[in-house]
Amino acid sequence: MARPGLIDRRTFMAGAGAAFAAGLSGRATAALAGTDALFAAAFRGHDGAWGVGILTEQGKVVHTVALPARGHDVTFDPVSGRSVVFARQPGAFLVVFDHQGRAAPVTIASIAGRHFYGHGVFSPDGALLYATENDFDNAAGMVGVYDASDAFRRVGEFPTYGIGPHELLLLPDGRTLAVANGGIETHPDFGRAELNLATMQPSLTLVDRVTGDLVERHVLETALHQLSIRHMDIDGSGALWFGCQHRGPDAERPPLVGRLKRGDGPDLIVLPDDALGAMRNYVGAVAANRQAGTVALSSPQGNALLVLEAASGRLIARRDLAEVCGLASDGADFLATTGAGAIVPAAGEAVMDAEHSWDNHVLRVR
Amino acid sequence: MRTALVAILLAATVPAHAENATIRNVIDGFVRPAYADFAATTTNLETRAGELCTAPSQVSLKAARAAFRDAARAWSVAETVRFGPVTEETRLERILFWPDRKSIGLKQVQRALAEEDPTAIDATALTKKSVAMQGFGALEFTLFGAGADDLAAGAAYRCAYASAIATNLAGMAETIASAWAEEDGIVGLWANPGPDNPLFREDAEAMTELLDVAVHGLELVRDVRLGGFLADKAEDDRPKQALFWRSEMTVAAIRADLDGMRTLFEAADFGTLIADDMDWLPGSVAFEFANAARALDGLDGPVEAMLADPERRGRLEYLAIVTSGLSDTIGGKLAPALGLTSGFSSLDGD
Repeated sequence: MARPGLIDRRTFMAGAGAAFAAGLSGRATAALAGTDALFAAAFRGHDGAWGVGILTEQGKVVHTVALPARGHDVTFDPVSGRSVVFARQPGAFLVVFDHQGRAAPVTIASIAGRHFYGHGVFSPDGALLYATENDFDNAAGMVGVYDASDAFRRVGEFPTYGIGPHELLLLPDGRTLAVANGGIETHPDFGRAELNLATMQPSLTLVDRVTGDLVERHVLETALHQLSIRHMDIDGSGALWFGCQHRGPDAERPPLVGRLKRGDGPDLIVLPDDALGAMRNYVGAVAANRQAGTVALSSPQGNALLVLEAASGRLIARRDLAEVCGLASDGADFLATTGAGAIVPAAGEAVMDAEHSWDNHVLRVR
Repeated sequence: MRTALVAILLAATVPAHAENATIRNVIDGFVRPAYADFAATTTNLETRAGELCTAPSQVSLKAARAAFRDAARAWSVAETVRFGPVTEETRLERILFWPDRKSIGLKQVQRALAEEDPTAIDATALTKKSVAMQGFGALEFTLFGAGADDLAAGAAYRCAYASAIATNLAGMAETIASAWAEEDGIVGLWANPGPDNPLFREDAEAMTELLDVAVHGLELVRDVRLGGFLADKAEDDRPKQALFWRSEMTVAAIRADLDGMRTLFEAADFGTLIADDMDWLPGSVAFEFANAARALDGLDGPVEAMLADPERRGRLEYLAIVTSGLSDTIGGKLAPALGLTSGFSSLDGD
């Protein structure tokens, strides 16, 4: 795989830049210049249109980029300043966009026999983009590899070593990908129907992004085989936090959050009964705040947001918030977004936005 | 708004944890009768399968097949209520493992028949085997699949297997129907939301579960039951991926799904909960259910022939559109009119 130099991206931006800056309103340009942090989140507009929005840390929507269908998570490349939003599973597109509006969005379709799962990550140098994908005829999780210097041409793939991969992250070593294999088989012939709940086997895998080799594979105890591992973040110590969604009976209350340290097995965190119950067996997003030493978990099913101390796993805060899901670390706290349309800044008042239902994730892009 | 008045009257006499009248109406008017009928029809199926084995004939085979169809229809009415007791002990998958995309279940059933596996004809041992060998899919093959006509002449092993599956289905149906018949357990939890209720802490959560039955049920019909065999273009259709194609129950099962949801709506009587300016909504939902029923009217027989006929295939395409419209109305208009959030992020998990 060719490694592009910086010059490629500079050329890309210089060539495409000016034309699209003109497309932003004066107010949007002022907002982009006047804020410290910016975030991006996919949404459904109240007119039914799909898109991704750029938000300030005060909760203002600076501008939006249209999407062909429902988006899910966003990833960001600080080297080029570009972001990518992935179609919600079983969607067939990713859209590359520039939050400053310097370049036109570019839509990339999934190849035949694959669809996206809604998550992906760039290599540290921004050269390659990795996306979780479904080889649906073989019910095999794959990582698709895209060359960011060459119009996001798909240049390869390797297995996730599990079924139904969801979020993937790059570990601090810059080389190892962590994949949450949710364990759930789906096939586009049957929409989002879950085909293997009786036999599902979720796993957390660590995969070498250069060789595609499996480095570590972790499964939970047999009794927890219906606990789908879905979302992750990495705390300041390098530990991988993961959040789960239970596909077994509602009356069961399995642990929903765990922590993995390299070389060890996963540790499940015991939450107080009322906090665990509030999550209704569903963690929609996980975010670590490395500065504050905290980890946040959201449940749109339970309308609840929990904050844990990363070092001890102790619950330190709980907040009730209708349809909360998107979480991003900001300052000493978290910015949260909700399906009901609220943007809740880390500091200051919640902004209720009647125009947008925010999807499950929000990501800091500056 | 009649409800507001009722709520005030109730507040004077009933302390905290007032029963949610809508949920109660749905339990009594839809869920209980639906699962009771599932139990009754599977008990009948068990009886007919037993008679087929003790007195094999064309008549007893026909009776067993009719009993299968009745039970499959009753299951389709009840199956949209897929929370509570039906989710325990993997019952949903054991009752109906479908789609069987790679024919894994079919191969297991064929192997049991070929090898005359003694553990498959023991109803207790069967509960420990693959979910695909335990329910409607396996039973349909034994009663309607290749070689099933031999049952009339006394195919002893095949009949014993069919009988064990019927007993397994009847046992699960009885357990689920009994759990819904009791006041304790799922009924008390769903109908009485409260802060110390582990499943439903407030009315909104119980009502959201109710709407989810319809929204997920419509998605099941459109994406799974129809979408499983009806492609965008006719040449891509997959008639042998249709649920119950062997027993020619494909459309009857879809019709029963929709009938069940319509009954749920009638029992819920949402009109009493909605402000006057939105009181057209329940009528609109009823109208769409009637459109769906009309599209399916008289649409029976082999799936392959149905798909080959543009008029009948067109009616299935129209049904997909009606179900989308219905879920938009229910999720996007009825839910807000009831003061519920639409569940955008959480609706079907990601």
